[in-house]
Amino acid sequence: MNSTSRTKRIIYAFLLSLLLLLWFFPFVWMVFTSLKIENEVVTKVFHFFPQNPTLANYIKAFSSSKILRWMLNSAFTSAMAMILTLVVDAPIAYAFAKIRFKGRNILFWAVMAGMMVPFQVLIIPLYLQFNSYGLINTMSAVYLPRIALPIGIFIMKQFFEGIPDALEEAAFIDGASRFRIFSSVILPLGKTAFATVTILSFINCWNDFLWPLIVMNDTDKYTITVGIANFQGTHGTQYSLIMSGAVIACIPQFIFYLFFRKKIIAGIAMTGIKG
Amino acid sequence: MIPGNKDNRDGWLFSIPFLLVFVLFMLYPLVYGFVISFFKWNVLSDKVFAGFQNYISLFSDEKFYTSLWHTVEFVLITTPVLLVIGFLMALITTSKSPLKKVAENVFFIPYIFSMTVVSTLWAWIFQKQYGLLNKVIGLVGIQPVGWLTDPNWAMWSVCIATFWWTAGFNMILMSAGIKQISSEIYESAMIDGANYRQSVFRITIPLLKPTIVLCLILQIIASFNVFGQVYVMTGGGPFGKTRTIIQYIYETGFSYFKMGYSAAMSYILFFIIMIVSVVQYISLGRKSNE
Repeated sequence: MNSTSRTKRIIYAFLLSLLLLLWFFPFVWMVFTSLKIENEVVTKVFHFFPQNPTLANYIKAFSSSKILRWMLNSAFTSAMAMILTLVVDAPIAYAFAKIRFKGRNILFWAVMAGMMVPFQVLIIPLYLQFNSYGLINTMSAVYLPRIALPIGIFIMKQFFEGIPDALEEAAFIDGASRFRIFSSVILPLGKTAFATVTILSFINCWNDFLWPLIVMNDTDKYTITVGIANFQGTHGTQYSLIMSGAVIACIPQFIFYLFFRKKIIAGIAMTGIKG
Repeated sequence: MIPGNKDNRDGWLFSIPFLLVFVLFMLYPLVYGFVISFFKWNVLSDKVFAGFQNYISLFSDEKFYTSLWHTVEFVLITTPVLLVIGFLMALITTSKSPLKKVAENVFFIPYIFSMTVVSTLWAWIFQKQYGLLNKVIGLVGIQPVGWLTDPNWAMWSVCIATFWWTAGFNMILMSAGIKQISSEIYESAMIDGANYRQSVFRITIPLLKPTIVLCLILQIIASFNVFGQVYVMTGGGPFGKTRTIIQYIYETGFSYFKMGYSAAMSYILFFIIMIVSVVQYISLGRKSNE
């Protein structure tokens, strides 16, 4: 009895490892391709490992495209989105959690209903709007429509509700104003929630494709997502070069993941808790 | 509850920054887009009021129907598969296997990379002459398949890349749900002699229902908005066989500059998504109340 369950467990572990290898394999393939010389990729003979590993493609990717520039653009717009999301969304989340004001419920549901509007539906009017402000082809066009993040408000509201009222009341008795309480009592306590929200907002903006594709016209101003699509388009069949570009584009996100793994996962899990 | 009550004033003061952004970049475009949809507007020319003309033209536009159908096709294929894969992954990552942490990382990592990177990578794997997939099936003597260029395969290939990319997201939601189920329930079921399959079907799935419903709704909305991976991998080809509705909206607006027509299409899409969400909400909500 015991030995059969043991063999079962070994078979299960074996199959699972196989599945994991398979699931991970595209990354390996991406890296291997990027290290090959072009002739080795575009050939009838099939080599799994790079025969003459080379970094030439990486050098070429950096020199023939603006890939570094694109990454900086992405980093800048995502960072702006992240900061502004907090500036704009944290106060209202606090108001929803702690202030009993008239119209609070209606306002809250209006904001949550905003979550149901797919961004893609707004692209035409948003484009025309930004065009009339003269903001097309500027960095602010990329992040401005991204800073109202209803899910972020929801997460912060949940968090603020968990802060005991007694803390605020004590400050009130000492004569502090709402704004003071918010900045010196609530904000320092909210770090965990802020981390989750900033990470969600960062990923949201970094991975955006359609909107920057529409508002950015100069190759200089592309974000990395648009840049890589463009890079693939202009280098048609130079697969090892294209893969090296893809690997480069992965690096910042990978580092980001290594540092914030837990927060990213917690953030996604939190969006589900609402039910 | 707090002395010197200025709650009404403070509540709205704290809401102002968000409300400004919300009105400017959400409500206003939502209304503005609706207004535009009743105009013939070529950007270069003047706006001309056209009544329902844009909407009427839409219903005789074959490209609109085919694009909408491709999106629906994508929704129908990806939604059930992604839910099932996500659920199976969640079972693995919440199991007692020593590999569960590794599994969680491996399954989730594709999701953190941007869609264009994932699409470029899969476009290369699916490449007809030199791509990995055809090399591998060539080993067992199968003729190369035009994964992205054969009309019968292109949509499936895009779907496969999407499975790989986003299944990890559903996994996280579902495993968070599974972790909320008390382990005592499983233990007492084990004592009563339930096997693994029974505990999955009789305990996990029924108790996970709220999470599954949430995943379903999020997934359908996300799938309806499919654009990038198709645009990068096939460009909507072969012969427009994978052109999605968002791509058609994008092309009508930014290649042909028919803003009114494009806005009208956006609204039809919005309307469909709303109907689908509401129907789901009502039907699933009713079932769980029974």
